[in-house]
Amino acid sequence: MKVNTRSLLWIYAVVVPLCALLIFPIYWLFNTAISAPDQLRQLPPSFWPDAPRWEVFATVLRERDIVRWLGNSTLVALGSVALSMSVSVLAGYSLSRFRVRGAGALGMFILTAKMLPATLLVIPLFGIFRTFDLIGSLWSVILAHATLIIPFSTWMLKGYFDTIPRELEQAAMVDGCSPIGAMVRVVLPVATPGLAATALYGFVLSWSDYAYARTFLTSAQDNWTANLGLTTMKGDYYTNWGDISAAAILITLPIVVIYLFLERYLVGGLTAGAEK
Amino acid sequence: MARIHINHVRKSFGHVQVLNDFDLEIEDGEFVVLVGPSGCGKSTMLKILAGLEPASAGTIHIGERDVTDLAPGDRDIAMVFQNYALYPHLTVAQNMGFGLKMRGMSRSDIARRVEVASQTLGIEHLLERRPRELSGGQRQRVALGRAIVREPQAFLMDEPLSNLDAKLRVHMRAEISALHQRLGVTTVYVTHDQIEAMTMANRIVIMRDGSIQQIADPDTMFSRPKNLFVAGFIGSPGMNFMRAPLRIEAGTVMLDLFSQKVSLLIAPAAVSHLAGQEVIVGLRPEHLGAASENTTNVQFETRTRLVESLGGDKYVFVDVPPANRMLREAAQTPAITANTAQRVTTGAEEQRRGDSIIARLINPGRLAAGATIRLEFDPRHLHVFDPHSELTIA
Repeated sequence: MKVNTRSLLWIYAVVVPLCALLIFPIYWLFNTAISAPDQLRQLPPSFWPDAPRWEVFATVLRERDIVRWLGNSTLVALGSVALSMSVSVLAGYSLSRFRVRGAGALGMFILTAKMLPATLLVIPLFGIFRTFDLIGSLWSVILAHATLIIPFSTWMLKGYFDTIPRELEQAAMVDGCSPIGAMVRVVLPVATPGLAATALYGFVLSWSDYAYARTFLTSAQDNWTANLGLTTMKGDYYTNWGDISAAAILITLPIVVIYLFLERYLVGGLTAGAEK
Repeated sequence: MARIHINHVRKSFGHVQVLNDFDLEIEDGEFVVLVGPSGCGKSTMLKILAGLEPASAGTIHIGERDVTDLAPGDRDIAMVFQNYALYPHLTVAQNMGFGLKMRGMSRSDIARRVEVASQTLGIEHLLERRPRELSGGQRQRVALGRAIVREPQAFLMDEPLSNLDAKLRVHMRAEISALHQRLGVTTVYVTHDQIEAMTMANRIVIMRDGSIQQIADPDTMFSRPKNLFVAGFIGSPGMNFMRAPLRIEAGTVMLDLFSQKVSLLIAPAAVSHLAGQEVIVGLRPEHLGAASENTTNVQFETRTRLVESLGGDKYVFVDVPPANRMLREAAQTPAITANTAQRVTTGAEEQRRGDSIIARLINPGRLAAGATIRLEFDPRHLHVFDPHSELTIA
């Protein structure tokens, strides 16, 4: 037991400072949001405001277009996730299941697309979207985000499908399913944790994008996403960091909520019991 | 229920031929076991039969229908997989009813059939559980239930017992046999376990390297193996192999075995081409017994090397004279290739044997290793194999 206690102490000695390090920026964001502007500049800094401005969230929501920005971000994230998932589920499944000549090379090629930095793709994408008159439209960001999400999610899903025994589909086919039917009725339900994790990855990636939104949407104020909108709150002469922090917290909340909602799907183990 | 006719089926992956002219007629209601070492093509044949793999050549008929190009779901067969392949997201009842639902059966009919099948297998109390909440034996039953609820023309089973522990395996073996007798559905069963094959089959198909070696009922397979491979594969412990020079003296075929002349009841004409050569001689452990008096059996004295007691029976490993040993320098044995010698002397059990043979003695009393023992055998029980073709001569 003595050894156990000691190793437990070690674990805490490492984990507690690490968590503190990770949580501090979030705490500081919150502290900034509810502090009065003059209190932000004082030295030494105050770790809790004398008079917390709880009303700041309501004020920001009223004065800024945050609800619209959040709506746009949601549309973009859902759109790019839907598009990416429908492509990468089929692609990942094919890579996992079918013996095709050059499948390995094809898989690696898809992965190299992920290795390109997002900024590198901005310029060609801008040219393409201008040709199709998509600049300023939410479709531009949806398509752009999909180009980032699809390569990685295809590989993520391929890896997950690889863990699902082929016999499940074979059993479904003997039971009367077509190959597509076996995938839809058996493989996809079994792959729910993998699908949820992949969708969440795509959602977060789309939600946190700034570069694409800044490039394609700046001219269309009605279509600003949350991140783009947030940066416009910084004034040329005066910046209210309290308001910006409050807006940042409001923008972060949807991700937290989604995480809490999907968390149980993210825990694997659904395949347990399929075999021996 | 239906006859199945597998007509000259071949299968190759690229240049690798995994099935070579597989031809088999299975009678209505028959229980046929495909058995062989891993990689012999038995599972591939079952998958082709199920429609999960296309055949490179040949046709398959189930009943009167040519199903060669039909999808698995249109062949009216049910399959039990080695890892059960239960749908993890569905309950036991949904698992069993899945195939019926796919065929558009009404919900009430499905429920009724699932209930009947679950009673047959004694799993009616598990219907609302999910596969992960079941033990290995229960999952096996559900997998069987999913097959029988469909009332198909044939059952295909791919090593369904190999994931169970030894005791449960014996139990489920008997249960599947009983189920087959009750339902009378044509069954094709794949296993690498010759004991399963022997105990369950109406007929056994032994395969090796994609080719059928012999098709026969278990007793014939045991007593009249067609070649060296079958002789070595069937039986536990496996057949003892020795080599012995064959001679024809005064119209009688003789073997030099255990330093004596053993005469065989074979027509000399059948083996005249082997006269003066060494042949491979097989003798089952069951056919070696403790020497008795007043007998025409061949008797010999030898030394025990190892005694394995199974309670009543004892497996006694005894010495073989150097002239009859299978393992020998290749140079000394032009007729029996080193390859053949190695093949019949590899595998865990054969390694242990080395150059000894096993006698299975029933209630022999106390026996120690290193003791001198007198054994006997009836020469009619000897199997003689052509060293070149490895086919049975007698």
